[in-house]
Amino acid sequence: MRVLEPWVADPLAEFLRESAARLALVMTSSGQVIAQHGFTRSLDVMSAAALGAAILATTDELGRMLATPAGFGAVVHQGERQGVWLAGFDTPRGRWIALVVFGNESSVGLVRLFFSRFAMQISAAAPPLVPVRDVLAEGFERELDNSLRDLFGTR
Amino acid sequence: MSVEHWQAALHEVTGVAGVRGALIISAEDGLVIAETAMDDLATADVAALSAALVSRAARCMAAMHTAVPQSVYLVGEFGAVLAVAGPAPLWLVAVARKDAELGRLRLLMRDFAGVLG
Repeated sequence: MRVLEPWVADPLAEFLRESAARLALVMTSSGQVIAQHGFTRSLDVMSAAALGAAILATTDELGRMLATPAGFGAVVHQGERQGVWLAGFDTPRGRWIALVVFGNESSVGLVRLFFSRFAMQISAAAPPLVPVRDVLAEGFERELDNSLRDLFGTR
Repeated sequence: MSVEHWQAALHEVTGVAGVRGALIISAEDGLVIAETAMDDLATADVAALSAALVSRAARCMAAMHTAVPQSVYLVGEFGAVLAVAGPAPLWLVAVARKDAELGRLRLLMRDFAGVLG
């Protein structure tokens, strides 16, 4: 498992253990990867993240067109040997998306059950956002002006 | 059997004293097909976990080279979960309190599970 945010690791590990999912990808709604488990190549991760975010964006737009403001919750693709669960969830860091691949050893119902717990745990575990500090110190422009005047002897 | 018949069967099962809810689930995907239950019973969770239970029971019996399970009874300190196989992939599941009439419930479920298809 690889995580960008360390506090995601424990809830994700628990989710994987309980749901018996094969692959998992957690990303922002714009497709930036937060955590992944089971993907072997970085290219796969990036492709899956981009495609997953696009699918969910499409579904959300369909929901808006069909006057379903709350959206559809989750998208499930069920194949013969494995299925894909794709769902968005709100966190203190904004809306995130999870893409989960599960096999015959699990089920949609099981993934749905433990995914809702995972989403709650992520919301509870998210540390408070650190306020963004000013990139430039207060009075930077005045100090720069003074420095330039000193440098060129124009004071 | 139609949805109306399923609902009638489920009402009959929940009519047994001590039964908190009855569900028809799909063991393949762990989802609820039909249900009759008390409000405080999380039927979607029961379906998911029951499907996992029967699927593991099937794998266990397959490993032992025995027949496919037709029923799974899980009796705990405060209650019981009874699952009886219907036509694949349907299972009839009941959640009961510890004081429920488990014998009658078992017989009733076996009768209904056979005609779910």
